[in-house]
Amino acid sequence: MKLPQGGKSELTFVGSLFLLGSLVFWDTWRTELPAFNLTISPKVFPYAIATLLMVLSALLMVAILRGDVATPEGAEPGQPIHKTDMKIFGIVIGSLLSFLLLIERAGFIIAASITFFGITVAFGNKNHARAGIFGTLFITVVYLSFTRFLNVQLPAGIFKGL
Amino acid sequence: MEGFASALTLSNLGFGLLGTFLGTLVGVLPGIGPALAIALLLPITYTVSPASALIMFAAIYYGAMYGGSTTSILLNTPGESGSVITALEGNKMARRGQAGAALATAAIGSFVAGTIATGILAFTAPSIADLAIKVGAAEYVALMLVAFTTVSSLLGASQLRGFIALSIGLVLGLVGADLQSGLSRLTFGSDAALEGIETVPVIVSIFALGEALYIASRFKDEGWKVISIKGKALMSREDWKRSWKPWIRGTFLGFPLGVVPAGGSEVPTFLSYSIEKKLTKHPEEFGHGAIEGVAGPEAANNANAAGALVPLLALGLPTSATAAVILVAFQTYQIQPGPTLFLTNGALIWTLIASLFIGNALLLVLNLPLVRFWVKLLHVPRPYLFAGIVTFALLGAYAINTSVFDVQVAIAIGLVGFLFRRFGMPITPLILGLILGPNLELQFRRALQISAGDYSTLWASPLSKILYAVLILALFTPIIARVMKKIRKDVIA
Repeated sequence: MKLPQGGKSELTFVGSLFLLGSLVFWDTWRTELPAFNLTISPKVFPYAIATLLMVLSALLMVAILRGDVATPEGAEPGQPIHKTDMKIFGIVIGSLLSFLLLIERAGFIIAASITFFGITVAFGNKNHARAGIFGTLFITVVYLSFTRFLNVQLPAGIFKGL
Repeated sequence: MEGFASALTLSNLGFGLLGTFLGTLVGVLPGIGPALAIALLLPITYTVSPASALIMFAAIYYGAMYGGSTTSILLNTPGESGSVITALEGNKMARRGQAGAALATAAIGSFVAGTIATGILAFTAPSIADLAIKVGAAEYVALMLVAFTTVSSLLGASQLRGFIALSIGLVLGLVGADLQSGLSRLTFGSDAALEGIETVPVIVSIFALGEALYIASRFKDEGWKVISIKGKALMSREDWKRSWKPWIRGTFLGFPLGVVPAGGSEVPTFLSYSIEKKLTKHPEEFGHGAIEGVAGPEAANNANAAGALVPLLALGLPTSATAAVILVAFQTYQIQPGPTLFLTNGALIWTLIASLFIGNALLLVLNLPLVRFWVKLLHVPRPYLFAGIVTFALLGAYAINTSVFDVQVAIAIGLVGFLFRRFGMPITPLILGLILGPNLELQFRRALQISAGDYSTLWASPLSKILYAVLILALFTPIIARVMKKIRKDVIA
């Protein structure tokens, strides 16, 4: 049987949702209940939600196999589906992860400036020097206004004590 | 009146002005709808007193709504479903050189609708809260299930996908230690996860990070075309004559549909559009930029947003993504919306309602003259715009608990947001599931504890029976509609 375009990747996605449901089920099953007696066990809800998710994703998988493939946001039904540009996708993910890794090690200014720069690259900005300088300045202003005026604490990192 | 007195102090007016400014500033940025704009700006309101925060927040709310309509008209990129219709006719008007009139009718219409709707809110919310106090746990369960069903099955193209989105939200809501038994669920040994998943970073990430990933990797070549405005944002006498009735009709259509969980602002704006199209004296202009097609839906959208505050304040029940964000905001100010709110925090509610009036008025005074400034914002290059949005989203995620765990969650949710967009799943049901899921479980258990485990208590009262009937209706309406369509098609063919 031939699937419409995009059907295979959607099946994978919905299949992983089915697995998520089973994971919830398994995690609920393996935890031990506290010794005291409750009218309604704290397992009732997780079981119900896990079952719901598994049943619904199974139904959707059947629907996809019958040709009901999703329309991506911003596209019209029936249009050919754009391919995701994995390189750019990787740059965005990399920028996000660098924030995660650097925020407490190098401080907010460095982490956020790198993320800012990375995102401008991903969105096709060509003038890298300008983006780098503007981004760093912008992030510094944000940092100072949050820490000085809004009393929101952000890690200073290597600029500690300045 | 006391509400006005506390809202009108000098410093609170200052917060109101700042909120209007920031709300419009963020709302006008392309791709940012009101829900995301409010969520992004939440960290700013954390450190001020609850009353000031509420005022600033109300101003941000209206500012973001107004900013969104500006973007729809000049850029044709509606930030949320409620502005889709505004973009339809408004953008056509702008192309015909009537951008000023389109912006003005949107702004004044929003003001009229917002003021009337806030007035109705002020009168109805307390009496609804009075009724709501008598609503028991079992009825709450039914009420939440109705909200889940309507939002999941009326939003988006596919009912099945809506319910899957809801279930994923419910799964996210499960994470953490169970409140009653302390049993840790889905934490997989992580201590940070015991506290549960913070809702604000989830909302911000699923919109902002998801959108960034999606747009960058799939629509990289598409640019935006900003339409410049000629002249001032003013309406001619003719424009006024054609606008005021649609404003009023839009208001009275939008408000009630906001009170009942009818799936957000999509339905009332569409309805208003089709009504105006039927009633207009200029049917030939529809589809080419008819002012009624902007005035009506824009008023309906704003009145709808105010209407959604009724179930939110009186029952603690959000019915749209924006209302869900507001609920979270209240919780961060240690305010729990619901029937008891009017008893415990009455003064605060009146301050909020007064600030809604004031925010609405400030907006009109501030924004029509400033419209050229806002339009300049539309020219921010896309790479910088998204870089700013992403860093703000990450900042917000980190700052809420100064914890890296929330950043991890944010990035993971960003990926989910990407996948949802790619595979046509609506986002609002996920947010509702995450926010209301724990609440549903709490009421469910409470009901069964009272009945000592007898499940029939859930549908024992007449109100519950009515609610479950509504639920079944909402569940089958799309299916019936589809079958009818098919039959009609077959008959014609």
